[in-house]
Amino acid sequence: MALCGVADTGSHSMDKSITLPPDEIFRNLENAKRFAIDIGGSLTKLAYYSTVQHKVAKVRSFDHSAKVSLQETDGDPLYEISVQEEITARLHFIKFENAYIETCLDFIKDHLVNTETKVIKATGGGAHKFKDLIEKKLKLKVDKEDEMTCLIKGCNFVLKNIPHEAFVYAKHADSEFRFQHTHPDIFPYLLINIGSGVSIVKVEAEDKFERIGGSSIGGGTFWGLGALLTKTKRFDELLQLASKGQHTNVDMLVKDIYGGAYGSLGLTGDLIASSFGKSATTDKEFSKEDMAKSLLHMISNDIGQLACLYAKLHNLTRVYFGGFFIRGHPVTMHTITYSINFFTKGEVQALFLRHEGYLGAIGAFLKGAEEDNPNQYSWGENYAGSSGLMSVSPELNPIQRARSGTFPFDMLEMDRLERQLVNLPLLQDATSYIPDTVDLTEDALAREYWLYCFEEALDGVVKRAIASQKDQPEAVERAEKFRQKYRHKLQTLRHQPFAYGSLTVRSLLDTREHCLNEFNFPDPYSKIKQKENDMALKYYLKVVKSVEELSWEQRQFNLVKGLLAGNVFDWGAKAVSDVLESDPEFGFEQAKQQLQERPWLVDAYNQWIERLKGPPHKCALFFVDNSGIDIILGVFPFIRELLIRGTEVVLASNSGPALNDVTNSELQILTERIAAMDPVIHAALKEDRLALVQNGSSSPCLDLSRLDKVLATVVRERGTDLVIIEGMGRAIHTNYYAMLSCESLKLAVIKNSWLADRLGGKIFSVVFKYEVPSKAQGQH
Amino acid sequence: MALSGGVDRGSHSMDKSITLPPDEIFRNLENAKRFAIDIGGSLTKLAYYSTVQHKVAKVRSFDHSTKVSVQETDGDPLYEISVQEEITARLHFIKFENAYIETCLDFIKDHLVNTETKVIKATGGGAHKFKDLIEKKLKLKVDKEDEMTCLIKGCNFVLKNIPHEAFVYAKHADSEFRFQHTHPDIFPYLLINIGSGVSIVKVEAEDKFERIGGSSIGGGTFWGLGALLTKTKRFDELLQLASKGQHTNVDMLVKDIYGGAYGSLGLTGDLIASSFGKSATTDKEFSKEDMAKSLLHMISNDIGQLACLYAKLHNLTRVYFGGFFIRGHPVTMHTITYSINFFTKGEVQALFLRHEGYLGAIGAFLKGAEEDNPNQYSWGENYAGSSGLMSVSPELNPVQRARSGTFDMLEMDRLERQLVNLPLLQDPTSYIPDTVDLTEDVLAREYWLYCFEEALDGVVKRAIASQKDQPKAVERAEKFRQKYRHKLQTLRHQPLLSRRRMTWP
Repeated sequence: MALCGVADTGSHSMDKSITLPPDEIFRNLENAKRFAIDIGGSLTKLAYYSTVQHKVAKVRSFDHSAKVSLQETDGDPLYEISVQEEITARLHFIKFENAYIETCLDFIKDHLVNTETKVIKATGGGAHKFKDLIEKKLKLKVDKEDEMTCLIKGCNFVLKNIPHEAFVYAKHADSEFRFQHTHPDIFPYLLINIGSGVSIVKVEAEDKFERIGGSSIGGGTFWGLGALLTKTKRFDELLQLASKGQHTNVDMLVKDIYGGAYGSLGLTGDLIASSFGKSATTDKEFSKEDMAKSLLHMISNDIGQLACLYAKLHNLTRVYFGGFFIRGHPVTMHTITYSINFFTKGEVQALFLRHEGYLGAIGAFLKGAEEDNPNQYSWGENYAGSSGLMSVSPELNPIQRARSGTFPFDMLEMDRLERQLVNLPLLQDATSYIPDTVDLTEDALAREYWLYCFEEALDGVVKRAIASQKDQPEAVERAEKFRQKYRHKLQTLRHQPFAYGSLTVRSLLDTREHCLNEFNFPDPYSKIKQKENDMALKYYLKVVKSVEELSWEQRQFNLVKGLLAGNVFDWGAKAVSDVLESDPEFGFEQAKQQLQERPWLVDAYNQWIERLKGPPHKCALFFVDNSGIDIILGVFPFIRELLIRGTEVVLASNSGPALNDVTNSELQILTERIAAMDPVIHAALKEDRLALVQNGSSSPCLDLSRLDKVLATVVRERGTDLVIIEGMGRAIHTNYYAMLSCESLKLAVIKNSWLADRLGGKIFSVVFKYEVPSKAQGQH
Repeated sequence: MALSGGVDRGSHSMDKSITLPPDEIFRNLENAKRFAIDIGGSLTKLAYYSTVQHKVAKVRSFDHSTKVSVQETDGDPLYEISVQEEITARLHFIKFENAYIETCLDFIKDHLVNTETKVIKATGGGAHKFKDLIEKKLKLKVDKEDEMTCLIKGCNFVLKNIPHEAFVYAKHADSEFRFQHTHPDIFPYLLINIGSGVSIVKVEAEDKFERIGGSSIGGGTFWGLGALLTKTKRFDELLQLASKGQHTNVDMLVKDIYGGAYGSLGLTGDLIASSFGKSATTDKEFSKEDMAKSLLHMISNDIGQLACLYAKLHNLTRVYFGGFFIRGHPVTMHTITYSINFFTKGEVQALFLRHEGYLGAIGAFLKGAEEDNPNQYSWGENYAGSSGLMSVSPELNPVQRARSGTFDMLEMDRLERQLVNLPLLQDPTSYIPDTVDLTEDVLAREYWLYCFEEALDGVVKRAIASQKDQPKAVERAEKFRQKYRHKLQTLRHQPLLSRRRMTWP
């Protein structure tokens, strides 16, 4: 019995004469195409699809066909950089109180340019109530969609597309929110939607779900009985009362009956024997707080037990909770979590969703957009445009809201990614793979450091951004806006580290990239990369020749040293960018001298050499890092040796720009140029023993669970048996502990003294980690 | 979370200066040997074992060994008839309100002759509270037994020994109570004990049970929340309020949200979407009756759903309900039955027990009597000494109770022979001895009740004639006539509340 739906819960009387900040909310409305709306009991969630014009930096090789020899190109830049407009698809989701619905509709009407849109998909209990208003204001036909179908569709979508969507709540832990890494297969799962009533839905596949149970004891019961008992009419105030109460004053405990535990039945003395049992026989007055707390426990425990029973009965271990009873309320998340732990003895974890409030709107939108096949694409959260978890809790803090006089809203933006993303097939256990090495939500010291570090580096990033667009006078203004936005994000994260899922060095870097893009700084390092690549290419043959003269043993060591030295050239790391800015002549040889002497901080070099004395690998997948010296003088000589040994090589580089990392399009050009100089590379390219693929990412870090589908195919087809991951971002901040089902080499130079210190080394310490999966593990 | 136990529910203030009718209650107390007591939240159940002297007619063949042929015995009677005294064992169970406990203890003390008894087994939430009083009055040591163990032991005993112990409740059927024929193997079953809280116990064998679940939303919740919402402090009055209320005024139904059924999810419009959902957003006053009804539905439905889930999870089809929330209350039996039907779509039936209130006392008694191996014998209910189902419903009818006194009895006679199935029965599970069930067949019932009443004079005459030599026989026969006629009248007026399946002949 009972339902997901929030029914008409009465709108709060709010001042409607507010002005909406058009830059911040309803972004890109002029390009909006498709609309969907989910009107709940108190909140409205609007969804639309828009196209966004981005500036992107493109590289294009000059036409060298007319030239006869390499020498003649001297002095010309290696390739051409141009900034182009690119159109990408974005999903916008905005959540606001029902009280503002009219204001918002007016605003949308005024800003809506596109007239092709005829229909707005609607769902939620309130859709019925506001149907006429919407049709009148927007001149769109309201097309109602089934509430539960929308909810499930939306849930599938966020679980698939948003890493760290789900989290476990632990009130007393160091970090309240423990985010779950996305499981490659999200099905089957149980969704417990606690609206007015409770719906228990088993989801088995994208379009296969069943409401297997429910209960009439839900949020409406807490609210309704709570209102009758305490004369408090507001849901959030009832929760606040509950958080201050003592349920033991109202509930009859086991010890109240038996004087202690009922040992033979395994019941502890503190267990609630009978909710409200004391009020049956005591004549005294009970406090509002105590009654509210008792009620909250009664309802949470009941739902918890039902959830467990249904989970057991259907053999499901993933149980997500949603609905207005849960939404953004730590109090209810805590009691539900407690109850689930109690009833399953820890076997089942209560999971919550960051974007739970948007599920209906997302689902309704997807229903309307089916012709665009949104499920065919991969989507990524745009950190620059999304508010983050608990950014606004209108239910929780009415006073603060009223005082600020601002329009309270919450946003989520999802960008359609160019490439479909999948797992690296070589992950030993995709289910348990966690890309990030340190979870900053849990490690307070590390969090402090990195937030400080990113704030310190901000000036430099702004400078670099301006420098990259010297010809555009308004770049300064945009850069300033970028500074403000990113600094604000950092401040938010300082206070709410859980806002975007697990806080990691990767998410801090990605957020910065998203913010740069937001203000049209698509590739601030493009010119530097170009210069670096140009310079390094000139040394390529010299380096290759010098290595060739060495004995086999010496050569191997030199190649590894070269790889590591190349990795010192990293504009992403502050220490290096300081040196490079003050001394651009900092050379390759100098870098080699800077390197730590062996034994390195992590030193598996001997095992690696022993392995090289054996048969060649079939195929090596190399996740490359920086442009310039790194890729040209470090990586290429190294893979050249592998190619000569008879190993195929796949170079995986970023799809989009991030810091000075080499992008796939840049690498294409560089490889062609090297091939023109070096017959080994030339032959390998020609014979397809050397392949260039993009990794699907624009991050300085690496998430092996979200890689370009093509890459995964190539890896599988070529029988890859060696994975090389290079650089701090990809091998230290992420993937340091990643377990692969084949041999792997993770190498980096620690260019950050804090991190070096943490790892027990000094700046420029070397990590050379060579791992071979044990036989037993490999067979899995 | 939660429990079976009734707790101290505060005793009603009753006039304690009543005189107990010794012929009717605490029968055979002078021969009582073993005692057990189960003190619940409001009712005390006393159990004892006694021996009963019966007159039995014995027949004995004359000694024909000296005679030569059959012919020669002509004129002599075939065999000799003599009336002898025989001693049989009987279990007595008496239920009365806690308010009378002191009076009853005094009465027992005065009539107790047997001095070998040293111990009284005790169970129930109130055992603790009355321990000192019992020890002082009876000079018996109170020996506490585990409540749940007693409950289960008692339950096994009645299911095994009392035919038609379990019944299905159907409010709107011709006969409200449909009695279940005893299954030869009573295990496994699920017992849902709804006291203050709810205990869900899986019983797999005589001594094997496990509390597999429970809930804190039980009778105490109905009572406690009900008291807060309606300012009505008595449990039975709350139930009366509930039976007059309209839950749809307080609950949010599916149709209140969606304007009708939510077809794609298979939810009808009248389904309760949210208990008390309307009081969340409406400012109006709600009637006590409506709130009590809504509360009753909420709790019954919740327990019903939990019971079904546990039954499914453990693959059990027999689910018995007991505890003070259920005990003798058609209102709660109805809502629980409805809920079970809803959740299992009829696959599981809610079963109730005629002697559910005695389970703890029976169990405690059996614990104390283990040396006598009571489980080795077959036992039969003594209809002459048992009150029958719903003879007293102290919670339901306080007025009637005050007038009539509030005792309910159950007597079980130990049978001489151990009784089993005829091995040739094709299916002992479905075997029903009686051809017509008079609880269901009104016409037949009318006829047979009339018929037995008509025949009563003849039976009385025959009884007197059989004991011509005993002058007191006339008086005793008259007492028999009165008692049996009273039973017939009871059955006429409460055929549906009868204590067992009424059968012909």
